[in-house]
Parts: sequence; structure tokens; C-alpha cells
Amino acid sequence: MSTLEIGGSQLDAAWFLLLGGVLFAIGTVGVLVRRNPLVILISIELMLNAVNLTLIVFSRQLQNMEGQLFALMSMTVAAAEAVVGLAILVDIFHVRDVEDIDELSEMKG
Amino acid sequence: MAIVIFFIAAAMAVAGAVGVVSFREPIRSVLSLVVVMLALSILFLLLSAQFVFVVQIIVYAGAVMVLFLFVIALFGPTRRLAKTQLRFQSWLSALFVLALLGLIYSMLQGIQYRQPDKGTDLSAFGTVQSIAVGLFTTYLYPFELTSILLLVAAIGAIYLSRKKIDDL
Amino acid sequence: MSTSQLALAVLLLPAAGAILLAGRGWRLPRIVTVIVGPGVVWASFAATLMLFFGQAKGDFTYWTWIKSGTFDVPFNLLVDNLSIFMCLVITGVGALIVTYSVGYMEHEDDPSYARFFTYMDVFIFSMLLLVLAGNFVFLIVGWALVGLSSYLLIGFWYQRRSAVLAARKAFVMNVIGDVGMILGAFVIFVTYHAVTYGAVFAQLKSGTFCPPPGQLTQCLHIVGGDSSSLELAAFLLLVGAVAKSAQLPLHTWLPDAMEGPTPVSALIHAATMVTAGVYLIGRMHPIYDIATYAHNTVAIVGAVTALFAATIAIVQTDIKRVLAYSTMSQIGYMFLAVGIGAYAAGFFHLLAHAFFKALLFMAAGNVIHAMHDEQDMRKFGGLFRQLPRTSWSFLIGSLALVGVIPLVGFFSKEQILGAAFSKPDDSLALAVWVVGVVTALITGFYTGRMWWMAFGGKPSPERPVAVPHEARLVMMVPVLILAALSVVGGFIQTRALGIGPSQVSDFLASAVGPVRWEENAGAIVIGLATMVLAALLFLAAYRWYVARTWTPWSSRLPWAQRLLERKYYFDEIYDAAFVRPMDGLADVGLRDIEKPVFDGAVVGTGRAAVAGASSLSLTQSGYFRNYVLVFVGGAVVAAVLLLIRASS
Repeated sequence: MSTLEIGGSQLDAAWFLLLGGVLFAIGTVGVLVRRNPLVILISIELMLNAVNLTLIVFSRQLQNMEGQLFALMSMTVAAAEAVVGLAILVDIFHVRDVEDIDELSEMKG
Repeated sequence: MAIVIFFIAAAMAVAGAVGVVSFREPIRSVLSLVVVMLALSILFLLLSAQFVFVVQIIVYAGAVMVLFLFVIALFGPTRRLAKTQLRFQSWLSALFVLALLGLIYSMLQGIQYRQPDKGTDLSAFGTVQSIAVGLFTTYLYPFELTSILLLVAAIGAIYLSRKKIDDL
Repeated sequence: MSTSQLALAVLLLPAAGAILLAGRGWRLPRIVTVIVGPGVVWASFAATLMLFFGQAKGDFTYWTWIKSGTFDVPFNLLVDNLSIFMCLVITGVGALIVTYSVGYMEHEDDPSYARFFTYMDVFIFSMLLLVLAGNFVFLIVGWALVGLSSYLLIGFWYQRRSAVLAARKAFVMNVIGDVGMILGAFVIFVTYHAVTYGAVFAQLKSGTFCPPPGQLTQCLHIVGGDSSSLELAAFLLLVGAVAKSAQLPLHTWLPDAMEGPTPVSALIHAATMVTAGVYLIGRMHPIYDIATYAHNTVAIVGAVTALFAATIAIVQTDIKRVLAYSTMSQIGYMFLAVGIGAYAAGFFHLLAHAFFKALLFMAAGNVIHAMHDEQDMRKFGGLFRQLPRTSWSFLIGSLALVGVIPLVGFFSKEQILGAAFSKPDDSLALAVWVVGVVTALITGFYTGRMWWMAFGGKPSPERPVAVPHEARLVMMVPVLILAALSVVGGFIQTRALGIGPSQVSDFLASAVGPVRWEENAGAIVIGLATMVLAALLFLAAYRWYVARTWTPWSSRLPWAQRLLERKYYFDEIYDAAFVRPMDGLADVGLRDIEKPVFDGAVVGTGRAAVAGASSLSLTQSGYFRNYVLVFVGGAVVAAVLLLIRASS
């Protein structure tokens, strides 16, 4: 059944999932189009959040705690990844002034 | 009532997301993301995930985003205008993303939900207690691994940001 | 020791010597080489003597090499009187020559010295394998190994280009013969489904009916194939024999083979390897007795070669080349003999020739050694007073070659000629007899020329050494032994005179059959007359070449002189007909096949890999955003595929 009983009203789970999909797509756009490395990292966080939303929705729909636990793990991993990614960016920034990720193209060929 | 809350939160989230990818200044992107996270946390609460709601606000919006803010403060504002342009990048990106959206939509059309699991204690659904039970019994192993992951990330970050004598 | 063990010892002792000498990379001290090199050959000779006196006989199988369907190849040795006879010649004369070469090769450095004796031992082993083998396959193995040893020994001084070319020429011509041999063996196998001599000859015997000696009508062919396959096999085997024995037309390698050291010429190109062809015909006599066309061809080839080689020998100036052509001529006599069915006569001449030709070569070696490696006879002269022992030995050898009584050469050559003359109802035999007589006269002449030029008259002004010394003991003694054998050897078979012992033919009768017709008295008389004429020609040569009282040939018949000097242009003809086309073919192969196709394939594969890699590396643009694009694109594609699969 796709309808969820929330606070007395009936909501379709599909809406939540669609919202998650839209957020994910927007995040992808951000990764692909923006050139500032920081903004790219932020867009990745956005994508991760969208996925978390999807997980929670399904957890609620299936009445199973696994979804929420997984979302928790996902958050932890996202945090770790943000930490390391930012540390690397800071490292690069100490050496050269990076505004545009296209400047970091030494791995050509 | 719930529907109204849902739509308000959804609108906030989408607006924030658009802001994330649109603003030129990274600081504004970060703040937009914070808005998105807050909106999502409301949705989590709506979906009976109390603990995750709190964790989202405290950890994600409160700690991770603050980290981003610190780094942006370190970097300073955007100075130069972007010069290089990869051809086809924007077109192909638009194409793929639209395709992605289309796919998600069509998947949702044909989605067939599984029946809910029997035998869950609905009164304890989403509470700290049920999270704890899950983390420390069935999912103990992933839990421990995740802690090690955090440890490794912390060590990595410390190492990467140490004071360097020569250019490494 | 039992016969089978003795036979194996005869065969393997020289092989053991070769392995020992070569084993440490020729780094053994010289004294070891001096003892082991000749020693194993003497040991093999001793074992052969034991077989001889023990009247050994038998076909011993030691091991099965190949067994596949009806193709059953054992490693077996056939010990009968013919193989014992050949082994005596090989190991006996071989031991003397190997001992001689201890002195002749003394100027070589230690590794080369050891290498020489290794090769000599390998050769002796190969030759023994050839004559002891009891089946066609190991005959071919021995045959090929003998060719290899010849190549190694001719090209022993490999730093010399002429030696290398000569070795290659010898090997190539031997290979031509090998091909014939192998094809002949194939024909035999296909016809009789067996490779051992015993099995094949038994089938031959049972399927045919040969009338008793004295009546030489054709044998009746009732054998499993008809006689045409036997004729084919016999001709093919003859090709092998012709190549190995340097008969026409595969003879051009033998004079060039004189590039090798003199002991090599003595052993291989006089006493043993070149006689392998004669052995082959003798061993295969059941085949040749039936295949009459091939059998007659043997006699014709032998007679023609004998005459041909003798004429060329008249104009040679290098002492070893005279002896080489002389060898070719004398082997022609042996082929003549076995070609008309007088097997024992042929083998007796083989024995006699081994004695006096080895003697001549080794004595020539002594002369060359004394003349500091000079081989041109025109630069000798007057050696008789200065090198008495060598001169007398050389004279004995020469007179044996001419066939003067009572030396061994007389008895053996006259036995052949007498048999040819006396053979009833055979016009071919008479024809080859005429050729043989003419050749004998020419032999007298060129031998005389050789002796007088080298030893007679006054020393030539171009002599490299004014006062030469006789050779040392280790080189002199084998020469003297062979001289003695040449003197007394004839008395074991005096059948040529119609009276006296016939040890050789009696001994060989069990292997090659009895003597099938008697010599008539006319033959004996004519034989003695021939001998006298030849001896007179020997003396007459003095007038031409020393006293110079008669005008030389070269001025009277210049075209003849040129023809003979150019060896009837055989080398030129072969070069134009075979060598140049092959060179052209090889060039075409190199230019048009090897380079574009094979090199192209190999290099092309490399280039294709590099091209592929460089085109693929274009995808590595270095731009992060491109990479993400590819991710997303891939994800989209995967999702589409999943969707399709789910909906279908």
C-alpha cells in the first residue's frame, strides 16, 4: 500500500519519493555544472540528503527500523567524507589558489 | 494538516536546493543547504523518525555544515570570474539530468510496494529505544565499522592539515 | 661379457669419451684428452676384436624406442660378419688415425684440442651406430650423425671462411642424400610394415625365389608389392649412398672437404665415412639382388665416377686434392664391385683402401707438417733424401693404390676387375670392366706424378723449408703400421691370382652371400698385364714432371687442361642451377614475406596497441566534471536497461 497514515491524514508515499528524486537531480546538476570545488562538495551533500529521505520514507512504509538505521549510518559516512574532502581541498588551497576545478587537470592522458 | 506541512517543507527543500546550485558565493550555497536540511528534518519528523530528525539537526546541520562554513571562511570570497568552459558539459548535463528525472518518475509510476513487515512494535517505532536496540544487537558490526571509519577520517584530516615544512 | 654387452660396449665407448671430453666445456688438462681421446677408440677396437675372435652373431634388442601401431622401432644392434668387418675397419684404422692426430694437432690450444677429439669420438660413435644398427631408423640416425660430425670436423678451423663454406657444402649435399635415404626407408616401411632388417629381409626372402649361384636369371618376384616399389626404394637408398660416398653427381663436396685437418681427411674422407655408401649397398643386398635396374645403376655410377675422378686427379696441384679425387675414384671401384654382385670383392677393396689411403693421407700430413703447412706439390721436390721414412711409406701407399703386386691394392683391385671380366652373361659387367682398366692406367699415371713431384727430382726453389724434419714418433708409428699392413694385407685373400686363401670372402659369406662365380684364367692374365702397364705409367710420369723431357699436356691440349682444372665445370653448373635460384628465392622470401608479413605482424601488433591506447587516453581529459558526466551517463543507461528488463 502506498498511502501512509500520518497525523490523521492520508499521504501518498510517492510524493515523498518524488521529492527525494527531485532533490537528487538538483544535486547532480550542481556537481556537473558548478566549478567551485566547495560548491561541488555541498551538492554531493545534497544528494546524500535526498537519499536519506528516501530511506526514511521506505522505513515508514514498510514499518521496519532498518531504513532509519541505514540513514544514520549514511549520515555518519557523509560526515567523514566531508571532513576528508575538505581537508584535501584545504591542502590544495595552501599550494595554489583554486577557484575553478577545471584548473586541477594534471591527470590528463 | 499533515499535507500542508508536507507541502511547505517540500517547497522549502526545493527552493533551498535550487539555491545551493545557483548562488555564486559558496557561503550562500552552504546556508541554502542548511535550509534544505531543516526542511528535511521536518519531513523526517512527519515520517515518525524522531531520532533521525534530531540527529539531522544537531549533527548534520549543526556540525557538518559548520565545518563547511569554517572552510569557506578560510578560503575567502570568490575573487575571479570563471574563464574556461568545457563544451557540451552544460548541454549533456541537462540532458542526463532530465533523463534521470524522467526515469525516476516512470519508475514511480510502476512501483509496487511491498507489504509492511508484520510484528514491529509500532508504539516504539522511530524512538531512541528502537534505534539503540537495532544498533547494538543486529547491526552491531556495521556500527563498529562506522566508528572505525570516523576514527580513520579524523586521523586523515589531522594528517592532511598538519603544518608542512616543504611543499608536499 | 656376453655378445650383446660387447656390442653395446663397442658402440658406446667412443660416445662416453666424447661426453667426458666435452662435459667440462673442454677445460680438461691436455693429458686427459691425450689419453681419453684415442683411448676409447682403442678400447672399442679391443671389444670388436673380442667379437671377432668369439665369432659373435646375433640381433640384440636393448630397448623399444617407438611403438605406434605397426610402426615398431626398437633400438637393436645387428652383429653379423659384415658389421664386425666394418667395425674392425672403423675402430682399427680409426684408432691409428686418432692416435696420429695427437701429434698432428699439437699446435692447437687446449680447448680446441679437446674439441677436436670430442668430434672425432662423436664421429666414430656415429659411424659405428650406422654399421651396427639393426633397423632402418637407427641407420638413418647414424647416417645423419655422421654427416653432422663431418660438418663439425671439416669446419674445425671455423675462423677460416673457406673451411666454413666447405663444411656447409658438404652438409648440404649430405642432406640431399639423407632425404633420399629417408624416402627409401619410407617406401620399405610402407611395403613391408617393418623397419628392422630381420623382418624386412625375411619377407623379401620368403616372397621371392632366387636361383642358385651360377645361373643368373632374374629372381622371380612373388613378393607382397611387386618389384617396382623395391626398385624405387633401391634408387632412393642409392641417392643416399651416392651423397655420402661422393660419387657422381653428388661429389663436389669431397675436394672442398680437404679444408679440414689432415687426420679428418684420412679418417672420414678416405677410410670410413665415404665407404658408408658401399656398406649400405652391401647390407641391402637382398633388395639390390631383386631390383636389377637400381643394381645396374650402382655399377654404372661407380665406373663413371672412377674414370671421371681419375682424370681430374691428373691436374691437381694440392697434394690432398689428388688424394681426394683418388678416393672418389677408388670408391667408384667399390661401387662397381657391389653393383655387379661381387660384394666380397668390394669390401675387400674397402679394407685395402682404408689401409693405403689412410697411410697416404697421414704420410702427406707428415710432409705438410714438415713443410710448415704448405700443400702445393709444386713447391716440394726432392724430399726423398730428406724424409726417408715418410717417402718410403708414401711410396708403399702409392704403389698399393696403383695396384702393384704384392701389395694389398693389387689383390683387391684385381679381384674386382677379375670379377667384372669373369661374370657370365653380363654385358654391363664387361663394359664397366673396360672403364675400370682404363681408370687403373690413369691411376698409375697420376699417382706417379704425385710421387715424383713431391719426392723426386731436386728441391723446388719455392720450398718453404729447406731442411725439413721427420715427424715425431706418435705421428710416424701409425704410418709405419699402415705401411706394414699394406704390404702383408693382401695375403689374406689372393683369389685374384686364382689360388690361395680367400679369408675375406669366406668371412663375409654368411652376411652377403657366397662368391657367385669363379674368375676365369683370362682375367688373371689381363690383370697382371694391366698392373704392369700401370706401373710403367707410374715411372713414365717422371719424364713429364721431373725430367721434363716430354712436353706437358697443358700446352698441347689447353682446352683439356682447363676442363680438368675446372672439374668438368660441375661446381659452376650446380651454382647456376641450384645455388643462385635458391639465393634468389631466399631474397624474395626475406624481402616480400619475412619483412612485410612477419615483421609487420609483430611490429604491427605493437603499433596497434599503442594506437589503441593513445586513442583511449583521449577519454582521460583530466577534467573532473567530464568524469562525473560519464558516471551519470552510465547510471542513466543502467537505469534504462533495468527498466526495460523489468518491463519485458
